[in-house]
Amino acid sequence: MSQIALFGNPNTGKTSLFNNLTGSYEYVGNWSGVTVEKKVGILRSRDAYVVDLPGVYSLHPLSRDEGVATDFLLTESFSTVLNIVDASQLKRNLHLTIQLLEFGKPLVMALNMIDVAERRGMKIHINQLSARFGVPVVPVIARTGKGMDELTEKLRSVEQTKPFTLTYDDVIETAIAKISSYLPDDIERSKRWLALQCLEGNERVYEYLRAKIALEPILAIRKQTEESIRQLPHGRSLRERLHHLRETFIEAVLEDVVTWTEKRPLTWTEKIDAIVTNKYLGMPIFLFFMYVMFMLTFDWLGSPLADLLDQFFSGPLTDTLSRLLTAMGASGFLQELVLNGIVSGVGGVLVFVPQIFILFFFISLLEDSGYMARVAMVMDRLMEAIGLNGKSFIPMIIGFGCNVPGVMAARTIEQPRERLLTILLLPLMSCSARLPVYALFVGAFFKAHQASVVFSLYVLGIVVALLLAKLFSSTILKNEHSMFVIELPPYRMPQALTLWRSTWDKGKGFVRKAGTFIFGGSVAIWLLSYAGPKGLHVSMDDSFLATIGGVLAPILAPLGFGTWQAGAALLTGFLAKEVVVSTMNIIYHVKDTDTLQGLMAHYFTPLSAFSFMAFVLLYVPCLATVATIRKETGSTKWTFFAIGYALAIAYIISFLIYEGGKWLGLS
Amino acid sequence: MVLTDLQPGKRATITNISMMSDILKQRLIDMGVHEGEEVCVKCTMPFGGPVMVEVAGQCICLRRKEAACIGVE
Ligand SMILES: Nc1nc2c(ncn2[C@@H]2O[C@H](COP(=O)(O)OP(=O)(O)O)[C@@H](O)[C@H]2O)c(=O)[nH]1
Ligand SMILES: [Mg+2]
Repeated sequence: MSQIALFGNPNTGKTSLFNNLTGSYEYVGNWSGVTVEKKVGILRSRDAYVVDLPGVYSLHPLSRDEGVATDFLLTESFSTVLNIVDASQLKRNLHLTIQLLEFGKPLVMALNMIDVAERRGMKIHINQLSARFGVPVVPVIARTGKGMDELTEKLRSVEQTKPFTLTYDDVIETAIAKISSYLPDDIERSKRWLALQCLEGNERVYEYLRAKIALEPILAIRKQTEESIRQLPHGRSLRERLHHLRETFIEAVLEDVVTWTEKRPLTWTEKIDAIVTNKYLGMPIFLFFMYVMFMLTFDWLGSPLADLLDQFFSGPLTDTLSRLLTAMGASGFLQELVLNGIVSGVGGVLVFVPQIFILFFFISLLEDSGYMARVAMVMDRLMEAIGLNGKSFIPMIIGFGCNVPGVMAARTIEQPRERLLTILLLPLMSCSARLPVYALFVGAFFKAHQASVVFSLYVLGIVVALLLAKLFSSTILKNEHSMFVIELPPYRMPQALTLWRSTWDKGKGFVRKAGTFIFGGSVAIWLLSYAGPKGLHVSMDDSFLATIGGVLAPILAPLGFGTWQAGAALLTGFLAKEVVVSTMNIIYHVKDTDTLQGLMAHYFTPLSAFSFMAFVLLYVPCLATVATIRKETGSTKWTFFAIGYALAIAYIISFLIYEGGKWLGLS
Repeated sequence: MVLTDLQPGKRATITNISMMSDILKQRLIDMGVHEGEEVCVKCTMPFGGPVMVEVAGQCICLRRKEAACIGVE
C-alpha cells in the first residue's frame, strides 16, 4: 500500500487532519511539539497509509523531534507528501512547502485553518495559489473535518506534479550545479534538493551522504559559496540568503494570491494575554489555576466520587462475586484469590479512577487551549535560574498526568543537556499513579486537611526537582549555551470532543494498567502472602511476602516505617506505583478503603505516614518510566543514575521528615 | 537601537540579527523573524524574564538577553 506523509509547521493542525483522514485518535494540543514521533494510520478508504510527523519549520532540524521528519524523507519510501499549511500564517508556512517541492515527490497542499484566516480578514484565491506552485490545493478545516472528502479524492488521484524549481541567485545556482554533478548518479533522492540541503548545512543530509561518498568536496563548495555570499552588499550568511530568496518569491506569490479585506488582529488572544501573561499577575494566575485543579481533584469533586465507587466495590460487587463463586462451587482457595487478591488489589486502585480522570481533564484543557506555551514563558525566568529553560516546564506538567509522555515531550528541547536534565528530573513530578497512595494515606491520617497535604507533596516534588536541577546543572551537567524561544499560539476554544478524547486517551492507560500490571501484580502478591516457607495458607506474618519485605524493614526503620508490610509494598511499587495500594489492600486483608484506613493506624503514625508518602513520591521511577528514560537518553548509565539519585534523595528526605518531625515533637 | 529598548506597544523594523548565536538565529528565521520584518514588543516578564514580541502576525517569546541582540529601528 502506498504511504502518504504529513508535513507541516508545528501546531498547524497536522494531527487533527490525520485523525480526520484516518478516523483514529492521536494526541492533539495547542502548542508546538505535541507530536514527537511518527504515527501511522490507514486512510478511511483503506487504500493508503498516512504518516503523522512532528511539526517542522524547515527540513533542517534543530531538535530531536524535528530530526524525525527529516530522517523520514531520507530513509523511508512513500508516494505522496501531504503538506498542511496554516492559512493564517501563509508566508512562514510556504518556506517548508518550497523545500518539500524541491524534494520532488507528488505533493498535495491542504490549506488548513481557513476559518482563522477569514476571521483575520484574509481572502485566499485557491486556484491562483495552486497554479503558482503547480500542485493541488484543498481548503480544509481540520478541526471540524470540512474538506476531507475533496482532500482524500485529490490524494488518491495526484500523480507526479510538474517539477517545481525556484531559481535562486547566480552564486547559489552555480554551487547547486557543482554539488549535483559531484553526487553519484544512482542516488535515490533529488540531486537539487540534496544540494540545497547541503548548502543549508543540514547535518542529517550530511550523514546520509557520508555513507555514500566523501563529504569534503561538498563542504568545500559550501564554504566557498558562504564566502561569496558574505561579500554581497548586504553581508548575510548563506542560510539567511537562501531564506531571503525564498521569502522574496513567496511575497511575490502572496501579492497575487491573498487579498486583505481588512487587517484584524486576534482580539480574543490579545485580551486574554493581557491578563495571563501580565507582568505581575502571570505567576499568581498560574498558581491559582493549579490550586483549583487540585481542589477539584481531591476535595470538591474527586473524593465524593471515589467514595461512591469504593462503596460499590466493597458492597454490591464483592457480595455478588462471592455469591457467584459459592454458587459455582469454587474452592476456598479460588474464592480467597478473587476476593482478597483481585478485588482488593485491582478494586483498591480502580476506586481512584474519578480523581485521575479529573486531573487528566485539566491537563487536556491546559494543552488544548494554548495556555501551555504561556506557562513556559511565565516560568522561564525561574527555570533559567536553575539551569533549565521554560520549555522544560511543559514536560513537567504533562508528567503530573504520567511520567512516560512527559519524558517523551522533552524531545522538543533544543539543547541536549537541558533535555537530559529535564528527563532525569521528570520522575519527581508526582504522576497520577501516586495519587491513590496519597488518597489512601491522607484519608486515614489527615482527614481534615486532605487537599493541602497532597498539595504539599506535589510541591515537595517540584521543589526537590528544582533544587536538584540547580545542583546538577552547576556540577555534572554544565550547560554550554542555554536558549529559549517558543511560539505562542493563538488561544483556541477547546472543543468538547477533543477534550473528552484526550482525557480518555490518557485515562485509558490507567484503566488498562489496572487490567494488566496491577491485576498480575495483585495475583502474585496475594500468592506470596498465601504461601510461605512452611506451606500454603500460612498466617500472613509467616508468608514469603513477609520474609521478603522483612529484609527491607530494618533499612526503612529510620524513616518511620520499618515494617515488612511497608517494605513489601515499596518493592512491588516499582512495577507501577499504584501497586503500593494494591499490596496494602491485600496485606491488611480488607475489603474497603475505610476499614483499611482504620487498620493502618496500628502501623503508621501521621508523621510516618507523611514520610512514607514522600518516599513513594521520590523513590524510583516506575518500570515504564525507566524503560522510556532508557530509550530517550539512549544511555544505560544515565538510566541508572536516574534510579540511583532518586533512591538516595528519597531516603534523605524521608529521614529528614521523620527525624525532624520527631525532634519537633510531632508523632 | 535594540529590541529591548523598544517601548511595549511600539512598532519597529528589524535591521540586524547577525549578533545572535547560529542555532538561535536559525530558529528565529524559521519563525519569521528576519531583517526587514516589523516587530512589536507585547510584554516583558519581571526580574529580567523573557519578552513577548509580535512578528508577522504571530507571537514569539524569547529571552531578554537574546532580544538585546536584535537591532531595530
Ligand atoms: N480554528 C481552527 N483550529 C484548528 C484547525 N485545525 C486544527 N486546529 C487546532 O489547532 C491546534 C493544533 O492542532 P494539532 O492537530 O495538534 O496540530 P499539529 O501540532 O500540527 O499536529 C489544536 O488546538 C486544534 O484544535 C482549524 O482548521 N481551525
Ligand atoms: Mg501533532
